[in-house]
Amino acid sequence: MTADQWIRVRELFERALDAAPANPRAWLELQAADADVRLEVASLIDHHTQAGAFLEEPIAERAPELLAEDEALKAGATVGHYKITREIGRGAMGRVYLADDVNLGRSVALKALAPHFTRDPSYRERLRREARAAAGMTHPGICTVHALEEFDGQLFIVSELVEGHTLRDEIGKGPPPDVDAIARTARDLAEALAAAHAGGIAHRDFKPENVMRDRSGRLKILDFGLAYAPDTRVLPGGALATMPGVLVGTPAYMAPEQLNGERADARADVFAYGVVVYEYACGTHPFNASTPLGLVARVLESDAPPIADRVHHMPANVATVIDRCLRKSAADRFGSATEIVAALQAGDVAVSRRLPTAIGTWWEVHQAALMVLYLGAATLAWSIKETVPGPLTLWAFVALGIGAAAGATARAHLLFTAAFNLPRLKDEYMRVRRTLISVDLLIAAALALDGLWIAPVHPLWGVLTVGLGAGVALASLLMEPATAAATFQR
Amino acid sequence: MAGDKAQGAEHMAPLVYDELRRLAGAFMRRERPGQTIQPTALVHEAYLRLAGAGTPWHDERHFVGIAARSMRQILVERARARGAQKRWAALDRVTLSAALAVASDPESMLPSIDEALTRLEAIDPQQARIVELRYFVGLSIEEAAASLGISPATLKRRFALARAWLFRELSADGR
Repeated sequence: MTADQWIRVRELFERALDAAPANPRAWLELQAADADVRLEVASLIDHHTQAGAFLEEPIAERAPELLAEDEALKAGATVGHYKITREIGRGAMGRVYLADDVNLGRSVALKALAPHFTRDPSYRERLRREARAAAGMTHPGICTVHALEEFDGQLFIVSELVEGHTLRDEIGKGPPPDVDAIARTARDLAEALAAAHAGGIAHRDFKPENVMRDRSGRLKILDFGLAYAPDTRVLPGGALATMPGVLVGTPAYMAPEQLNGERADARADVFAYGVVVYEYACGTHPFNASTPLGLVARVLESDAPPIADRVHHMPANVATVIDRCLRKSAADRFGSATEIVAALQAGDVAVSRRLPTAIGTWWEVHQAALMVLYLGAATLAWSIKETVPGPLTLWAFVALGIGAAAGATARAHLLFTAAFNLPRLKDEYMRVRRTLISVDLLIAAALALDGLWIAPVHPLWGVLTVGLGAGVALASLLMEPATAAATFQR
Repeated sequence: MAGDKAQGAEHMAPLVYDELRRLAGAFMRRERPGQTIQPTALVHEAYLRLAGAGTPWHDERHFVGIAARSMRQILVERARARGAQKRWAALDRVTLSAALAVASDPESMLPSIDEALTRLEAIDPQQARIVELRYFVGLSIEEAAASLGISPATLKRRFALARAWLFRELSADGR
């Protein structure tokens, strides 16, 4: 199309708009214009009528977040007395740069906090408080915060530069870590977290991305206490939402109470610590699922497979610690990383070797007593079979023998678990519960039959046998649910 | 004489571009959540600052033209940085026209609009200016008309033409 033709297209199109003919094609036929021009105008009018809302509203009305997008600082730019070398990372909180502190002549990590996080004055104030507290922590396992700076209204966190890679880069890559590496990582992370917890600071967004391994192999935790969200924030699209207590962070490392919107304390860090060490040891997230939503659902609803089942060379004390860190209820976990350090040092986690209370002892006695009762019942059935031979007494004995063997095995297994693998006890109990009830009812039924059969011959034996059966049934249906509930509710 | 001045001002375009970006960033840090940035306000503030600094604009109208072009550049760059093309490419042809007509996810179509606009500019530069003023800066018909020195009625018709032309380009097979 020539320039001349375009001008005629434009003129004809504009005339058509003014005339607004009912049938544009018929109207065009009547206009003096060459065929190409008419065809082009017909096509443009067609598209004009289809265009709907296209370009009708300015882009900034429809996509305000485009203008609000934060931009990267370029190499060589200066922010206060810091000179940007290059961008070294980007996260939800903002971009991180390698920069030179011109005044002190050292390299630092400069984290520019994204404006939409820092516009809320109360959040800025909290951030200042947290940064001040974080700056007070000096531990070789924690990345030191040097300063919180404000330039041109923007907040920057200046911290020690840690060169190396993150723990995320190690997980699931290369050969799986050996016993020593697992034990060392578990200990180093627990000690660093414990130093913070002892100072009253929780991390709140502990995850492999926030753990660096520096060139010398030492682990350093980054970004302490930053994971508060402002109480109000702008959602994509400009809507204002009020979400008190909501955390910015990674749902995959949030404790159930955090996911439920409750305020997180050191015990949320304990949960995240469990997830991180678990993931480091076996390369897989303990609540792994095919979608992020599925993972969150599993964090809230399901128990993680015991780490010792997945990593057979897992140090026993670390395995016990991790499984306890992953408990759903914060009250069941360690109170802080300080307790984790103690548990790891104790080597065999003595604190959780035994059931905690008198009810636990009662529960153990109950198990042992039932095992003795089973044996007694089987012996009794033998004597009855010898005294009154016949198919009924024989089958009652066989049923009792089988039931007693199965029941005693299951209860011995529970006692063993209580003594040596306490964190698994509840799961194991749930697993054998149905079997136990069936076995008890079988034994009770066999005893009742035996007792009724022998009563005409030996009334006393009969009454005792039926009574024993009723006792076994009642113990199983009434007492055990109560003692188990009391024992496992903690 | 006016032509020379205009020439000189064109060289200042990168300055306008930087100033607009800086102002957008400053706005974001300064304002309360929930307030959105109006490009018109940014352009106006940039003019006041740069005119105050003695840069050679011969009038605000001319400045607005340059600022509109920068605004187009900034918005398109950010849409690209946010992966607009990927989302655009994911639209299948059946839903494409409908998506355009209801202007759903306008961000994703920005890079394509930008490319089509460059082609339209080669045919008729004024068409591109009109789209920049109306769509990228958000000037009213009257303001845009005044900025280009044409009547509001003419501007309205010419914007309709640009819209039809771009709509055809974007809904065509070529993408």
